[in-house]
Amino acid sequence: MNHASPPALEIADLVKRYPTGTEALRCVSLDIKAGEFFGLLGPNGAGKSTLIHCTTGLAQPTSGTIHVFGNDAVDHYEQARLAVGLAPQELNLDWFLTVEETLDYHGGYFGMPRKERKVRSAELLEAFSLTDKRNERNRTLSGGMKRRLVLARALMHRPRLLILDEPTAGVDVELRLELWQYVQRINSEGTTILLTTHYLEEADQLCDRIAFINEGQIIAQGSSEELAETYGVTSLEDAYLGLVGRTELSRARIAADAP
Amino acid sequence: MTSAQIRFFSLVRREVSRFLKIKRQTVGAPLLETFLYISVFGAALGSRIDELHGIDYVVFVIPGLIMMAWAINAFANNSSSILQQKFQRAIDDQLSSPASPLELQLAFSLGGFLRGMLVATLTFVAASVLVDLPVDHVLVLVPALLLVGFFFAQLGVLVGVRAEQFDDVSFAQTFVLQPLIFLGGVFYSASLLPEPFQTLTHFNPVYYMINLVRYGFLGYSEANVALSLGLLFLATFSLFALNLRLFSKGYRLRA
Repeated sequence: MNHASPPALEIADLVKRYPTGTEALRCVSLDIKAGEFFGLLGPNGAGKSTLIHCTTGLAQPTSGTIHVFGNDAVDHYEQARLAVGLAPQELNLDWFLTVEETLDYHGGYFGMPRKERKVRSAELLEAFSLTDKRNERNRTLSGGMKRRLVLARALMHRPRLLILDEPTAGVDVELRLELWQYVQRINSEGTTILLTTHYLEEADQLCDRIAFINEGQIIAQGSSEELAETYGVTSLEDAYLGLVGRTELSRARIAADAP
Repeated sequence: MTSAQIRFFSLVRREVSRFLKIKRQTVGAPLLETFLYISVFGAALGSRIDELHGIDYVVFVIPGLIMMAWAINAFANNSSSILQQKFQRAIDDQLSSPASPLELQLAFSLGGFLRGMLVATLTFVAASVLVDLPVDHVLVLVPALLLVGFFFAQLGVLVGVRAEQFDDVSFAQTFVLQPLIFLGGVFYSASLLPEPFQTLTHFNPVYYMINLVRYGFLGYSEANVALSLGLLFLATFSLFALNLRLFSKGYRLRA
């Protein structure tokens, strides 16, 4: 980890209020160091996706600042966007394009020259076992194949910060393991990862640091051990249950209470 | 090529490849429709209608058909392309790229503009084979067609951005655009209409567009050419400015 370089993601006093009046983010501040594997955990509707959307330009913050590797991500966003790759929760693929075209156009949107796009897309098609499907239209792919393509697309322009918004929701064990091996490898090569997931054991195993977000606010952050300590429990799962106020579901507690 | 040029070219290429992939629907169908108009209004009805203002009826209607082909295709392409991408959320790929609001808006506009240009050009070529179609004022015709194409491309972008369901797009096309075009004088001369329809026609902006294009081809116009061209430029620029503002604010595109 290089502590001299600017943080991969630096969010300060971020507020997002929708026109309906709903305040999805309430003065959120967060720092993710370059090279970190960072987890963002919270219940549905806590503000995880809104935070990601504000970072990637899909939502406009009401106030506050966002910097990606020191570059403004809100007003003068070109450099910041070049540095971010987003694999969203939804399989938002263009039905008119083939698998290979999806990667090629994405690379084009990020200014990659044609030759470089060709080499990079071949590399990613291979890495995500999509080479045989390269000429198939996106709409004909299975759910698992679509998920692979969404991940490959996020990596196409070689982002320095990869945002994975619930990437393993509904995928089979094989793909989940392949995916984690891949992201662990690119993390070890220097790519910063921001991961949201509902699978706590994944966050526990993969993330250097984790933040809990609830009702639009960062409640706690640290390593999984530090979070467990904060909530006076022994595991990340129990710390999470403490966050959402459902400690009665704790497996440790149920086992201890068992006759 | 700079990275900004690659980006813009890719955005436009996506829009063009979309309509070329479904060319039976986006190019073939409009061509057939125009051919049917020429057959019905030219060959079938035209033989029973005298000349209009000294011009053969079939020749009189062709400039309006060419303009209509460009306008409807530019509009339909952009409105449906944007709405489809919003619907699938595939548009997020472009919105989260480093592209500026101006680049995005221009790229979406150019998709429909180029489709309209392709269909209008093919219509012109086909019409030229069927009838002797003059081009009297090319210096009026070219800017008039380009402005009409760009105006309707912008209108398509506006409707696509505002639309929340496919019904919104078809409503705009069926209940607003097509009546304005049909009642703008594509198939007749407004000067032959009885009152109050003649006066009402003067409130239809498409009437001036048709007259400009007809003047470019045939040298005949019922409206002031310079004034019409000036107003068309102003209307196109205003729509462009409005769309740019919507893209800059992320209206119905970004949360």
